[in-house]
Amino acid sequence: MLSCALALANCSGVQSALDPAGGDALRIYWLAVIMTVGATLIFFAVTGLLLYAIFAPPERRAWLGGRNTIVYGGLAFPIVVLSMLLPYGLIVMRDTDVRMPGALPIEVVGEQYWWRVRYPGEDERPAFSTANEIVIPVGRPIAVSVTAADVIHSFWIPNFGGKIDMIPGRVNSLNFTAERPGIYRGVCAEFCGDQHARMAFDVVALEPSAFEAWRTNQAKPAPEPDLPQLVRGRELFRTGGCGSCHVVRGTEANGLFGPDLTHVGSRRTIGAGQFPNNVGTLAGWIANTQHIKPGVRMPSYGSFTGEDLRALAGYLESLK
Amino acid sequence: MNAPERPESFERREPELPNALPRPAGEFEALKRAWKSPRGLSFITDVNNTYVGIWYVGTAFLFFILAGILALIMRAQLAVPESDLVGHDLYNQLFTMHGTVMMFLFAVPAVEAASVYLLPNMQAARDLPFPRLSAYAFWAYFVGGLVFFGTIFFGLAPNGGWFMYPPLTGTKYSPADNADWWLLGIGFIEISAIAGAIEIIVGVMKTRAVGMSLDKLPVYSWAMLVFAVMIVIGFPAIILGTLLLEMERAFDWPFFIAERGGDPLLWQHLFWFFGHPEVYIIFLPATGMVSMIVPAMAQTPLVGYRLIVLALIATGFLSFGLWVHHMFATGLPKMSLSFFSAASTAVAVPSGIQVFAWIATIASGRMKLTTPSLFVIGFLLIFTLGGLTGVMVAMAPFDWQAHDTYFVVAHLHYVLIGGMVFPLFAAFYYWIPVASKHALSERLGRWVFGLMFLGVNVTFLPMHITGLIGMPRRVYTYPVDMGWDALNLVSTIGSFMIALGVAIFIYDLARKFRFASEDNAGNVWNAGTLEWLPNGQYATRSIPAVVSREPLWDQPNLSKDVEEGRYYLPGTATGGREALVTSPFDARPQYILQIPGAGWQPLLAAVFTAAFFLLLTVKLVLPSVVCGVIAIGCVIWWLWETDPGPTRPPADIGGGIVVPVYVTGPMNHSWWAMIVLMVVSGMVFTCMIFSYLFLWLVNPSAWPAQGFVPPHWVWPATAAALYVASAILIDRASGNLRGEDRRSPRSVPVLIGIALLLVSAASAADLAAQWRAGLSPSAHAYGAAVYALVSYQIFFVLTTLLMGLYTIARWLTGKLDSVRRTTFDNTMLFWYYTVGQGLVGIVVVHGFPRLTGGV
Amino acid sequence: MAAVRTGQVLLMLAGLIAWAVQFSLIYGATSTLCGREWADATLLGLGIVPASILTVTLAALAVTAAAFAWSLKGYRSAETRPVSAADRFMVQSAALVNGFSLIVILWQGIPAFILPACA
Repeated sequence: MLSCALALANCSGVQSALDPAGGDALRIYWLAVIMTVGATLIFFAVTGLLLYAIFAPPERRAWLGGRNTIVYGGLAFPIVVLSMLLPYGLIVMRDTDVRMPGALPIEVVGEQYWWRVRYPGEDERPAFSTANEIVIPVGRPIAVSVTAADVIHSFWIPNFGGKIDMIPGRVNSLNFTAERPGIYRGVCAEFCGDQHARMAFDVVALEPSAFEAWRTNQAKPAPEPDLPQLVRGRELFRTGGCGSCHVVRGTEANGLFGPDLTHVGSRRTIGAGQFPNNVGTLAGWIANTQHIKPGVRMPSYGSFTGEDLRALAGYLESLK
Repeated sequence: MNAPERPESFERREPELPNALPRPAGEFEALKRAWKSPRGLSFITDVNNTYVGIWYVGTAFLFFILAGILALIMRAQLAVPESDLVGHDLYNQLFTMHGTVMMFLFAVPAVEAASVYLLPNMQAARDLPFPRLSAYAFWAYFVGGLVFFGTIFFGLAPNGGWFMYPPLTGTKYSPADNADWWLLGIGFIEISAIAGAIEIIVGVMKTRAVGMSLDKLPVYSWAMLVFAVMIVIGFPAIILGTLLLEMERAFDWPFFIAERGGDPLLWQHLFWFFGHPEVYIIFLPATGMVSMIVPAMAQTPLVGYRLIVLALIATGFLSFGLWVHHMFATGLPKMSLSFFSAASTAVAVPSGIQVFAWIATIASGRMKLTTPSLFVIGFLLIFTLGGLTGVMVAMAPFDWQAHDTYFVVAHLHYVLIGGMVFPLFAAFYYWIPVASKHALSERLGRWVFGLMFLGVNVTFLPMHITGLIGMPRRVYTYPVDMGWDALNLVSTIGSFMIALGVAIFIYDLARKFRFASEDNAGNVWNAGTLEWLPNGQYATRSIPAVVSREPLWDQPNLSKDVEEGRYYLPGTATGGREALVTSPFDARPQYILQIPGAGWQPLLAAVFTAAFFLLLTVKLVLPSVVCGVIAIGCVIWWLWETDPGPTRPPADIGGGIVVPVYVTGPMNHSWWAMIVLMVVSGMVFTCMIFSYLFLWLVNPSAWPAQGFVPPHWVWPATAAALYVASAILIDRASGNLRGEDRRSPRSVPVLIGIALLLVSAASAADLAAQWRAGLSPSAHAYGAAVYALVSYQIFFVLTTLLMGLYTIARWLTGKLDSVRRTTFDNTMLFWYYTVGQGLVGIVVVHGFPRLTGGV
Repeated sequence: MAAVRTGQVLLMLAGLIAWAVQFSLIYGATSTLCGREWADATLLGLGIVPASILTVTLAALAVTAAAFAWSLKGYRSAETRPVSAADRFMVQSAALVNGFSLIVILWQGIPAFILPACA
């Protein structure tokens, strides 16, 4: 934390490994702190010995000039220290990312450049899909299964633990538990092409009851628009062909190519964690996709009139 | 000279000088004439290590500057969040090229180039054992590297990261030529590296000063020996990887495509099996340099010689057990990952040994704070810090946070800049007086050091934090309000400080560096090793005998005596360029190596080899093939002048020692080179077998695919029999080619000819078997793996064909007999290897599926 | 002479070669056993994965300890007998390399005691 302060940076953050919000991240954090303190001490010791070797008077540094220096400093000392560090590191490895019974399963597929999320059915609670956002209950173990649809991506929520690569043809898993409610940010951590830099997702940790409410709502079909402008928006969504790539449950839109938009209005950000979610940014995204995030699979729909665009964006924003 | 030494101490008495004064008239002139460079433009055809080494180092340094400029542009883009200075497409090319050029076109070539110049001098050898091979390696690198770098100006530069992970770099997600530039472009770099490695192994083991037994070998030579062996073992993995990915892209053989039985992780294993040793390949020569500079600066011998040799060898071995630590996040079982965690921890100990050895040496001497010393101190501090963060990321759970973040960017730059660039600058300041009329400026050197040292820390120290607070790697921009802004700005400022330091260095270099051999600046540091002897284009006038590790300190008259020609081989026995070959352990003179002089062949062969790869990249197949054929033609023209035979009876090199000017068999330097080449080929083949087994592991129920009927066992049995038969015939021919009477029986070309037919038939049977069974290389990874093995074997059989025909041509022109048989020996060795590889391939391809019940 | 030198080189590298073989075997075995899901079998009462690791590690330790003892013997006698500098160097280096290798081989086997077989 000291070096953090010196670096004028805010260690606590929504995407920081130095601000653990879960057990795994905390274990890793302590490992990091202990290693940093140890490394700093060793660094200063070696620097000190080097400067002493150069600048101390020759009679005073003669003891340092023999083979024993190498045997004690270069062999014995590292062997002792590392013999302690290695088992410690392996124990942290054993105790981190462990599948727990009763974990909440979540499935995430990495795509260029967004996150396809699915919550499988559990007991009577039905399955549903969403995108670019993960909501989890505090205190319950989470078991995320990941894979990729195209190239290798990587799933990383620094506040909760380490990362896991999403590899096409393979299903990997990541286990963690949130201990603190809040809003966090995850990112793609494996270079995946043009817009790797703009592939993030929101992680919301809620109290269990709030989580259940969220989950129940997400499983429902899309809310009916209740204002004429929003009805207009839904009609534009249909005639614009958006349904060939996007799902909106409860309407005919059932395309699986792009993110599920059934409850897109409930998400905090759009564009895979890139922009706050409101009518303005939604409109901007639809009209200028390739200008905002060039290389994504969605083309720009620049031919809507301003009024139509507002209606369409309004409709999407209403899908809470 | 060869009396056993007393155990308690090195012999420090002056040995009897081998040759008396005055030297015969014309002896020195003949030596100078043999080593004289051609005039005018033909100067570039010289193969003398002194010239090739300088050109090579200069080119490597040029790539350092070019790749550094790319980094400055990247840092400018990242100075502020959401910057649009550089678009995403260009940025992705920039970071890919920065990494690729630094690793492949700067780091490895720079240390190899330095050794081309330095190694023979340090061992008082006149040149490397295969100077034309070095020249070839250099020119291929020069042409190919510059063209490769040029792709960035056309938007064609590779943009998938220097590590090029598929499926992103497969045809589907990278349809344009950018990825092919990397794959085929790196091809000739790999050739250069392997050629250099062969050179260095044979050079270190067989061309040393007389009496320079293994315990007196300079630490730099030890480091280069380990370096070269690591290249031989490690580079084949990337050679295979690039071959497989290129075949996937060009022919749709799905090695890495999951939907058809391939696995993206196979690439990662191949890449990192090379990639991790690669960084130690870069680091060890730098430690070798430091081990030469520190004793000179402290004016005292190195403390802990044997411990340092232990450290070098241990690092060489252990570095091959680390590669999966680049894959800690890929979901492999924790037990598997932990083996790599343990080995990554272990490898820190040898580095610790070396650091404390240098501290002990400094403590036991009086260290002058010259510019080389400053860079050594900078190296020790920066590298130690990088090594400590390396131990941190060796702990897998910590790496699960730090992997692919700026923490790793910080770590890798600390170890690479600290561990290689700083020693390289120390080496420039230290050794330029050998190669130049003037040394570099000490005053400006302090500025260069200060700016670089400060700059490196200002740039990279903050990145440790930047990464842990969430900034991933390889991002062309980052959001505002993440708390990363100030850290990135500071890093950018630091990068320009480094640039300023390097700029001052370049200015000083341009001012002061004037190439010289005879009138160089001299032993300005009062160093103790042989590269500081008086030099000319012929290296030293005579080849000294040494009794300790610091000959110039322990034999006060050495320079004068060497220069007067009082030591071994003060002239030229055959009238041409020569080196003295000595025994690997005790460095007793064995024979005189006739070295070729300047020639157009290596240069032309290199240019056409580079053209072959580059044209293939842009899919101009016919011109590419034409260039390839011309390249082979140039190589044959080059080889034709080799294997001169015993052009004169054994010669007196002084001290009563008479050695032959030509030998054959296991003592011969080209026999050694062939063995090394066979190890390289064997490693590529081993990696191929590994890939085959790995893909089996990934495809438990489809190896081969259901319904495929493999070839009847008669096919592999026949192919195996034909292979063995051809080897027997070659063995027969070898037996017939024995005798002191220089016989040249006709049975030899006949046997070779029949053997050629047999080996070709064997390979054809191998291929036909799979073809007739209907196996497709693109339907499934099984087919791809089988055809990869078969085609690799075909390549070897074709090379054997070429070598066999060449050997027959030598016989036809009277250049092959029972004494003059090096050409035959090389062909024979390669033949045995090809047959052995063929047999193993047959057993794997036809036996393994039957073993595992897949059929 | 070549045979003597080959022997000296092999002795010098014995520990590191033993480590390399140990490493290849334990990594290969773990990958194959876990990859093929054959890890439920047991050997001498232990799960087959840790049992394999322990067996291979003990074998590597034994070979290396023997090489270390041999080279120590040679090291001591080299101090008193007249041998060439190269011979003395080879046997002393062998002692150092083999001694160091014992520690590395030991570290390499530690995971068997801490980690689950295939998680």
